[in-house]
Amino acid sequence: MFLAFALITLLGALGMLLQKNIIVAGLFMVAAFFGIAGLFVLLANPVAAALQLIVYSGAIMVLVLFVIMMLSSHEEEAAEVGHPIQRWLSVLLALALAAGGVTLVLASKGVRQLAERGAAMPPAVTLQGVGAALFEGHVLGFEVAGLMLLAAMVGAVALTKRNL
Amino acid sequence: MTGMDAILHGGLQGYLVVALLLFAIGLAAVLLRRTLLMQFMGVELMLNAANVALLAFARFRGGDLQATVFYLFIIAVAACEAAVGLALIIGLYRHRDTTDSDRTASLKQ
Repeated sequence: MFLAFALITLLGALGMLLQKNIIVAGLFMVAAFFGIAGLFVLLANPVAAALQLIVYSGAIMVLVLFVIMMLSSHEEEAAEVGHPIQRWLSVLLALALAAGGVTLVLASKGVRQLAERGAAMPPAVTLQGVGAALFEGHVLGFEVAGLMLLAAMVGAVALTKRNL
Repeated sequence: MTGMDAILHGGLQGYLVVALLLFAIGLAAVLLRRTLLMQFMGVELMLNAANVALLAFARFRGGDLQATVFYLFIIAVAACEAAVGLALIIGLYRHRDTTDSDRTASLKQ
């Protein structure tokens, strides 16, 4: 199960990276987000999986696809100036980061100990538990998040409106 | 479970490797693609990689609820970032008629 969802996630992300058409790339991203939601279910966290589907696949990617369709061109524009050295350097950087991180994770004794200590499946996270934890310890953060969403909404309207 | 076995059967290392590869792919999308919308999707991918690692650590620490609360705040910030970022891209497209990040390198009109 884990392997299936991990493959959906990584292949979706890779498809997004390599796809020329932006709409198809956006749909690959939706596939990747579905895979991530599956991983969250396997992590005994159905609350996060549901939030992932609702917020990312449901809201953010629909917003992105709307914006893509508002713009006229769906293909990447031809490069004005090529940056071959920078492009190869960035490929090298991403590969080095991935390889270095993977070797570090596999070699780390602490990660292995944590994996062995917590191998037993914990009880699934419930919405009730999350709500209690949120309102017992993080009420201020919750209010600030609400205010921030309001500010972002006002900002988005102000930025896109032609004559305010 | 050690090494390859942990990666293949969903040990902590497996989730961390998936998160790292997802982060690298997102970084590559930001660095290699020129269209601002593709770079934006790369940023979303990196944010999700961090979420996968966070919730994987929470599960292996006995199902810590604080991580899910933290995840809630992260997606609230991600939603704000998506709204403002896309509004900026639309505004830029109105002014310059392009979403290519190379063509929008100067702040002058």
